[in-house]
Parts: sequence; structure tokens; C-alpha cells
Amino acid sequence: MKNKIKVFRAMHDMTQEDLAQSIGVTRQTILAIEKGKYVPSLDLAFRIARHFNVNVEEVFTYESESRTVEID
Amino acid sequence: MKKNTFYLFIGCIALALLALFWYSVEIHNQLLIEVAFIIGIVIIYFARRNVTDLIEDERSAKITEKAAMRTFQVFWVMFCAFSIGAVMQILRVPSFPRERGTDRPPWDILPPEVMPLKMMGYIQLGLLCLMIFLYVGFRLYYARKYGEWETDEE
Repeated sequence: MKNKIKVFRAMHDMTQEDLAQSIGVTRQTILAIEKGKYVPSLDLAFRIARHFNVNVEEVFTYESESRTVEID
Repeated sequence: MKKNTFYLFIGCIALALLALFWYSVEIHNQLLIEVAFIIGIVIIYFARRNVTDLIEDERSAKITEKAAMRTFQVFWVMFCAFSIGAVMQILRVPSFPRERGTDRPPWDILPPEVMPLKMMGYIQLGLLCLMIFLYVGFRLYYARKYGEWETDEE
């Protein structure tokens, strides 16, 4: 799952802390999502998209890296 | 209550419990520390609900959930292994032949020694420590996996 949160943050001149506080998560969560370490829930993805007044598809792009499903 | 105040509060509760543990050992009253421990945990639970700073979101909840699940998966195997051993010791499962060279009738054989209660306490403590180590280990693993210590240019 790729995302453009960093781009949208830059467009809105927001820090990770600002975005985190406005959508009710920690800064580490925003950082983890931006770096692709954590895939957010649908609820959080929609909250992020809504915060930037765009559709969720514009922020998040699904890209399957492999055909196998990782069971962690 | 602020997050740091909450952590200080936990420290105070832990110190109070330590003192109570010492006191209960001195007066040989185990009920005191048992009740105090439960009350302490309940107090911490309610204090945590009053923390105004955000300390948990869906990512940290997921880390906790996964660490707890993995701990359970490993721990129940260890616990079952110990329990089977303990049951075998209590029941003294017979080996065949049971006692070589003896012609005593079965009703004349003394009942097996049951595992001493003190020993059970130490083993329980060991299992508890194992559970804590497993949980901390899995928590560190999943925290690293989900970017807990990632750094950024900001």
C-alpha cells in the first residue's frame, strides 16, 4: 500500500504532529504509515483523506507486492 | 491527568506495593499483599482512563494485540507441558514393571509424594516471569515491525 500523505502534508503545510493531533493518532503512527511500515485501517484512511478534502484513492494506492498473502 | 503524571502514579503504586509486600512478609500475612495487588491494578486501570494525552491509537492497539496473541500461543504450550509433568508427578504414573524385585502387594505400596506446595509457588513464579519475558519480547518485535522507532527528518 503506497500513500501520498507526505505530499498532502506538504501541500497543506502540516507537520506529522499537526496531522496526528487533528485525526487523533500518535505522530509515530503517521510516520509509520508514511514509511509503509503500517497499513492503516479503513476508518483511519478515510479520516486522513477527509482531512485533506480528497478521496481516499488519491491518498492511498493499493499495490500488491507479491501474490502470496503474508500471515504475520 | 497527563501522561507523565500517570507514569509517575504507576511508579508510586509500584513502590507502595513493594512496601506492602515487605510488610506482609514481616507479619506473615499473604492476604494483605494479594488484596493490595488487586486494588493497585484496579486503581491503575481507572487512572489510565483519565489520561487526557493520547497514549494509544489503532497501531499501538494492534501491537498490543499481536504481542498478547503470540504470548498466549507460546505460553499455553509451556504451561501444558509443565501441567502434564506435574500431573504425572502427583499421580506417579506407573512404569512397567513398577518395582523390580519386590513382591509387595499393590495395597502395601505407600502413596506417592505429592509435589510440595512451596515448589508449586516457585514454578508458578517462573511461569509468570516467562509470560512477562515473552510478552515484552513479542512487543518489542512488533513495535519494531510497525515502525515504533522509525526516525524522520522532521
